[in-house]
Parts: sequence; structure tokens; C-alpha cells
Amino acid sequence: MGLAGFEVEVQRETRDGGLATEDMTLSMGPQHPSTHGVLRFVIRADGEVMKEAIPDIGYLHRSIEKIAEKVGWHGFMPYTDRVDYVAAMPCNQGWAMAAERLAAIEVPKRGEYCRVIATEFSRIHSHLLSVGSMAMDIGAYTPFTHAIREREYINDLLEELCGARLTFHYMRIGGVGWDLPPGWRDKALAYIKRFEPLIDEFNDLISWNKIYTERLANVAVVSARDAIDYNLVGPNLRGSGVRYDVRRDEPYSVYPDFDFDIPVGRGEMGTVGDCFDRYIVRIREMKESCKIVRQCLEKLPGGPVIAKVPRNFKPPAGDCYVRLESARGDMGWYVVSDGTAFPYRCKIRTGSFAAISIVPKVSRNLMIADLIAVIASLDLVAPEIDR
Amino acid sequence: MQEFVDGLVANPSWVHYLGAMLAFGGIVVFGFVLPIAGITTWVERRVAGRIQSRIGPNRTGPAGFLQWLADGIKSLLKEDIVPDAADAPLFKLAPYVVMTGFVGAFVALPFGGPLIIADLNVGILYITAVTSLVVVGILMAGWSSNNKWSLLGGIRSAAQIVSYEIPAGLSIFPIVMLSGALSMQSIIAEQGAAPWRWFIFNNPFTFIAFFIFFVAALAEGNRTPFDLPEAESELVMGFATEYSGMRNLLFFMAEWGNLYVIGAIVATLFLGGWQIPWALAEHPVPRVALQFGTFFLKSYFWVFVAVWLRWTLPRIRVDQMMIMCWKYLVPLAFVNLLGTAAWMVVFPHGAPGVPELLCVAAAVLLGLFLRRVRYHLTRAGLKREELSYNILATERIPGLG
Amino acid sequence: MGLGAYLRNIKDAALTIADGMAVTASHLVRKPYTVQYPDRLPEGVRVQDTLPFRYRGMLEVDLEICTACLACERACPIDCIVIDATKDKAAGGFVMTRFDIDMAKCMYCGLCSEPCPTGSIHHTPEFEGADYSLESMVRKFVKAPVLAYKPKKGGETDPEIAPILERGMRYIAEFASAEGGGGEE
Repeated sequence: MGLAGFEVEVQRETRDGGLATEDMTLSMGPQHPSTHGVLRFVIRADGEVMKEAIPDIGYLHRSIEKIAEKVGWHGFMPYTDRVDYVAAMPCNQGWAMAAERLAAIEVPKRGEYCRVIATEFSRIHSHLLSVGSMAMDIGAYTPFTHAIREREYINDLLEELCGARLTFHYMRIGGVGWDLPPGWRDKALAYIKRFEPLIDEFNDLISWNKIYTERLANVAVVSARDAIDYNLVGPNLRGSGVRYDVRRDEPYSVYPDFDFDIPVGRGEMGTVGDCFDRYIVRIREMKESCKIVRQCLEKLPGGPVIAKVPRNFKPPAGDCYVRLESARGDMGWYVVSDGTAFPYRCKIRTGSFAAISIVPKVSRNLMIADLIAVIASLDLVAPEIDR
Repeated sequence: MQEFVDGLVANPSWVHYLGAMLAFGGIVVFGFVLPIAGITTWVERRVAGRIQSRIGPNRTGPAGFLQWLADGIKSLLKEDIVPDAADAPLFKLAPYVVMTGFVGAFVALPFGGPLIIADLNVGILYITAVTSLVVVGILMAGWSSNNKWSLLGGIRSAAQIVSYEIPAGLSIFPIVMLSGALSMQSIIAEQGAAPWRWFIFNNPFTFIAFFIFFVAALAEGNRTPFDLPEAESELVMGFATEYSGMRNLLFFMAEWGNLYVIGAIVATLFLGGWQIPWALAEHPVPRVALQFGTFFLKSYFWVFVAVWLRWTLPRIRVDQMMIMCWKYLVPLAFVNLLGTAAWMVVFPHGAPGVPELLCVAAAVLLGLFLRRVRYHLTRAGLKREELSYNILATERIPGLG
Repeated sequence: MGLGAYLRNIKDAALTIADGMAVTASHLVRKPYTVQYPDRLPEGVRVQDTLPFRYRGMLEVDLEICTACLACERACPIDCIVIDATKDKAAGGFVMTRFDIDMAKCMYCGLCSEPCPTGSIHHTPEFEGADYSLESMVRKFVKAPVLAYKPKKGGETDPEIAPILERGMRYIAEFASAEGGGGEE
């Protein structure tokens, strides 16, 4: 039988007594409260236990990479926000870094520091949404609202910085668009001071809750070998025990100036690489990001925040591959320039696209309720998968 | 006309009985049960709002008190959608079966000294039996919706409610043994007004039986952490996915009303019901009013605790729920049953001092809990102007500056 | 599972649930975060006035200081700005007959306001632009053909135009420039 292009085989098991049973084919369809964005999974299940969960993507494809070829170098910067609107600053930075590498532009020190502040705030922003919606998918609605409340404070800070709350368009080729407004540094430090104890409170509320840990421990264990084979990155990879972070292992920008840890999954509630590990790595990364922001704000140098870049930007012909650590892991930007004011090709490699490919493998013999936990723990966001 | 009425009073036939019962039933349901369900939703939504750092409904009526009325009228005006391939008779019947299951319990709830519709001599057994009718309704809803997700929800719910009947029933047995009767008013009469006269503090086994009963009753009522049948994140709305308009609202009214019934049963069995410390023999109206108020407060306190649990805890998975029931609650309930029986043999007239000791222990636990609450408040670094002890206040927390 | 693990499970469950309940109980005594917009705001407060200066709301064009340089039209990646300007020797400069911005297409990125020399096109804190028809989303700023503005050397002396120009220049001074300075230390 066919289901929109998927050939799903209906199996008939005959037991003694002549009762035939069929597997159920469910469509966890594009409209569902807990697929993060517009995703679809075709599930073949025997009651609650799944035999197969096949992802179906493409519902949020917006041809962003093709649009780059039309709008030009500067014009594409707002579009990069929409590649992953949950953590928009790293996407801005990726495009800016690619263009700067092609044209050999050096960003002033203060501009790099502003970039790091923005990216780390965006990382906290994204992780708050991720852990909040994971708690909501597991059934606890309150931690989600608390996470959104903290996100609102970050939204207010970034709104003062660059004028927008979701599609920031903060970074420009050569630096950033705006310098820190007066009084912003104190507000940011006050927020970090307020936020760090709230991470502990969030943990007391939900992370160590026995029901929550029982739901997540030993579910969908991804071994380190599998994680590397399936090209997982970011907290997904670190949750499986692999200590790899682009900020540490292939440093870019001014990250070598800062002192921060790389949290790695240790299997404290179950096995290394289960859903709980990926979740707790994100919580710990939020703390590390707070550390980085504090160091950044304290060491902020003076000077301009943007280099001189012509309005009619024409980098020399060539190509480059730029990697940076977005909230969802190693984000790769492969940009080809042909010497004109419009890029020839832009290819974005996102962490969620690889993460969704491991869902069929780990979801065999899981329950449908566990599939929700898996999707949430891999932090899939549909705009990143489909672009 | 006068002859008709005289004839009615002197010679009531079965038609008159039926008419009177239907009218009375209508009054009870529309005048009492629905407002109780509505007030429960008000408590739930306002408490949920404050727990989540927001305000609940606060526009319709004073402090949002009439929101349920507005929701009810809105649902009545909505389009009634019956899916094409659904089993229409079962689909339409299911909400009413669920409502019957829960409204039937109100008949035997003791709201005050004389305020009970029918003091059945099998009171608590009747209530347990009638509230298990909802399983039939939920299964009907899940199957007839012609939707695999609803079916999953309905089946999960059937497994859940049927399983948790056992620890709930087993936890009631110690109380029945202690009071010697199944009738609700007798159970209350055996308790006293003071906390150490309540059955919950009578002996350590009933103390644990209380918690087992409360957890099992939450599971019966499909409340988080046991709300798998209507797990919003997974099954959109579980067995009620295909329902719209008033039918949908009937399911939810049943859930919230059931919450009140749970609170009422807990207040009756374990907390002394409507007992007040003063006899007030010559002032019947204030006495009954005080008793009704006490009962109301006690049952709504446990409604509040159930709401608080709902907005704190995540959801348990199906197999973990079954493990918890059969491996944890049922053995503990049996231990309580045997323990209470042994206690009654060893101390036929009650152990002196043990209820008072348990009261003190409970107060100590409460004190430790409040200390932990204060710890959370100080760790979050909150200033005086960020706190508000008025739960109905809408004044906003001051911003970051 | 041994008895020890069994009892430990019960103890863990009870303690973590009680801790979670303590957190939510502590929230019951905290003030809510909600801003009751739009009808229960404090007296005299318009939400638009509380937004920061850099807020990228709906676009506004101060035609008095527009120089018809068409930098905004060229910068917009979506082509939502349409300007008709013709050189008119008799009038002494560019005459604009059309300046339309399609707010339904605009993505509020700010690329148009950056290159503006006088700050004539700028974002306002207005965000309530919902309407019933798509045609009403196109904002037409030119009512009658108007002469483009010519910046005067030594500052603007006309008292009507000076404050508008000063506001515009303050707006574009917020943007970062390669010369640096003007930021928080």
C-alpha cells in the first residue's frame, strides 16, 4: 500500500487460532503539537511499539540557498536569520565569515567581541527554547513557560541592541551593524546575574524529577561511533561522549580569548548517549555561555565595530567553507563567488539535517511516546532541515 | 388546575415520579454540578497562571470568575462536526456515558450534616462503581472516532482506569474497616472535627493509604502525571481529538468535575468531612452552613493540590504507569490493608497518642517543605517588590531596568 | 530489583516531586510577568513609546529631507520600494512623483535605512499595521510631485526642516561605521 510515495508493507501475522493482526500505519503529520516545526513521520507501529519511523521533510523548504544568488551579498544577510530562526545570530555570523574570507576582510577586535556576545546570547536563547519545549513534550507545561519568560528578557536585550526580536540582522559583512547602546552592558550583566541561579531552579523543577529522568534515561542511546558515522554535531554529538566543539577544536573569531568548558554527556541517569545526556548537555552549555558573555563584557576593547566594506561588494572569484558552532552544532557554509555582486552558489550544512537521519535508526522498538522524546532531544528545528 | 395539583399530590403515579426525578436531576446537574465543574476550571486556570508567571483569565466577571460560563456558551454555538466515517451513534453517545459516570457520584456525596441527596448504605462502593463507567465512555469515544490516534488514547485510558481501580479500592478498605460501614455519613460520623480525630492520622497505615488513594484517584481522573489518554503533545487530544463544540466540553467538564469528586471523596474518607468543632444544636442554619463551608474548603484544597501537581509534573509513559500500579501501588495497598487490620486487633480502641504524633509529624514535614520554598525564593534572588502574596493580583513584576 | 532499590525508587520519586512542587509553590507568590496590552496599560503609556530607539517597526519616509538618491531602492533585497524620480532642470533638481513602499513585502531588515544620507527613510516603533485588504498595505508617501531635498552646506537653517533632519541624522548615527566610536565602553 502506498502512503504519499512511501511503500509501507502491511504485515499480517497469523497466530494460532487464526487471528490476523496488522501493524498500524500512523502519520505523525505535518500538523502536530510536538514535532518542532513542520515535520512528518510515517510510523509503522504494533500498538504502542514502533517498528519503523520514517521522516518526511520538505514542508518548510523556502529555497533560501537559491535566493542568495538573486539578492546579492549584503542583501542575503537578513535571509540568513530565517535559515534557523531559533538561533539567528550564528547564521548571520556564518555568512559574514564566508564573505570576509573570500574578500580577505579583517573584522575589528571590538566587532568580534560584539559578535561573540550576540552569538552566545543566541545560544542561550535557543537552548532555552529547546529544553523548554522538550519538557513540554514530555508533559510538564510549566518549565516551558519559565523558559519562555527568560527568553523574553533576552529578547528585550537584543531588541535594544539591534531593533528586532527574532530576525536580528545584527551582523554585517565586516563586523556588526550597531555598537552596544549606552547602559546595555550593565543590563546584560544584570541579566546574566539573574539568570544563572534560575538554571538551577529549572533543574530542580524538572531535570532531576524522577518521572522525567525515567522518561529519558536509556532511551534512544546513540553510541559515539554511531554519532560520528551519522554526522551528528553539537549537543547531539557531545551527548554521546565525544568532546568536539568547533569553538575549541577549530577556533574562529576571538573564542581562544575565553575560558569555558565543553560539557559532555556522562550517562549519569542511564547510558552515555541517551536522551537525558543530550538534554543535560544543553542545560550545562547555557551555563558556559553565561560565563563567556560575562568574560566578553568585562574584556570588551574599544574601537570600531565594522571594517570598511564597499556597498557594492564584489569579492574575488573563488570558494570557501566556513564552520562555526551554532546552537545546533557545527554549521557549515560553502560559498562560491564568481567575482560579481551576486554569489554563485551558497550551500548551508546544518546540524538538524544530519540529526533527523538518525531517527529511523534509534526509534526501532521504541514507543510512540519515546519518539517524541527523541525528536525533542535531538533538537530538530524544521527551518534548519528544509531551509 | 387545582384538582390536577391535588390529584398529583394525593395519587402520584409512575409518570409523576419519573417527571419529578427528571426535573430534580436537571436542577442538580445544571444548578449544582455544572457550576462546580466551572469553578474548578477557574481555580485551575488562575493557579496555573500564577505558577507559570502569568495571569489566568481575568476579564469575564470579577477576576475571571465567569470564564467557564463564556466558554460553555461559546461551545454551544459551535458547529457540531461528526466525522464522515465515524460510528455516529457511538460517537454521539460517548460524552453522555462519561458524564453519567461522574454526575452519578454527586448523589452520594455528603455536603453537610443533612445535605446529602441519598445516604446509601453502600455509599463509597456505589461511588467507586459509578465512576468507573467513564471507561466505557472513553473507549467508545476512542473507537468511534475512526482515528488511530484517538484509538490509542482510548485504549491507554481503559488500561489506566481499570488498573488504578485496584489500589484505589484497596486503599478505601482500611477506612471502611475503621469506621465499620460503607455509608458516607457513617464514615464521617466516626471521625471528629479535630485533625487528630481524622482517619488520615489514625495510624501510619492509613496515612500511607491516603497518598496511595490520592495518586490512584488522580490516575482515575486522567490527570497529569497520568494524562496519557489526552496527552496533548502526542495525541493532540487523545480520545477527544475528533470532538468539537459541546461534546468536547462535556468531556472536559467530566474531567474537572471528576477532580472535585476526588477532592470530596478524599475529604470525606480521610479528613473528617463536614465535621465542625461546635455542636450548635439550636442554630441549624448556621451549623449546616459552616459544615458545608468546611467540606467545600477541604475538598477544594485537594483540588488545588491536584492542580498544583498537574502543572509541576511531566507525564508518565504507558508501561511505566502499569509498572507503577502493579508493582508499587498494589503491594503497598495490600500492606496497608493488612497493617490496618493488625493495628485494629492490637489496639481495639485506638492507640493513645499515635494520632497526635502523626499530626505533629505532618506539621514538621509541612514546615520542611515551606523552608524549601523559601530556599528557592532566596536563591532566585528576588527582591521584595517582585513578590506578591495576593494570588488574584495582576500587578506586573518590575523589569530589568 | 532488590528491596533496597525498590525503596530508593520510592524515596527518589517522593523527594524530587516534592522539590518540584516547592519550586512551583514559590512561583505562586511571585508577581506575574504579563503586560496586559492593549487595554490595561498604566495611565498614559503607549507601548510604542516604551520600545527602544533602534526598534525596526514599520517604515516611514520624511519626504522633506529625501534627496531622491535611490540608495534605499537599490539596497532593498525584496524590491518593495518603488521610487519615480526624474531630473527637472526647470525645478532645479530631481522631482519625485512616486515613493511607494509595499509593507506586505517588507521584511523589516533595515537595509534601506542604512545607506540613506539624511535618515529620511527610517523605522518607527509602530507595529500595528493589520488591515483587511492587501492594497492598503502599500504606503504611498508622495501625494503631489515634490522636489527632492538638497542638503545645505553649514547645516540646515529652515526651522521646519531642521528638527526632522536632526532626528534623521541621529537615526543613522546609531549605525556602526568604520570610523568607530559612539558605543558603550
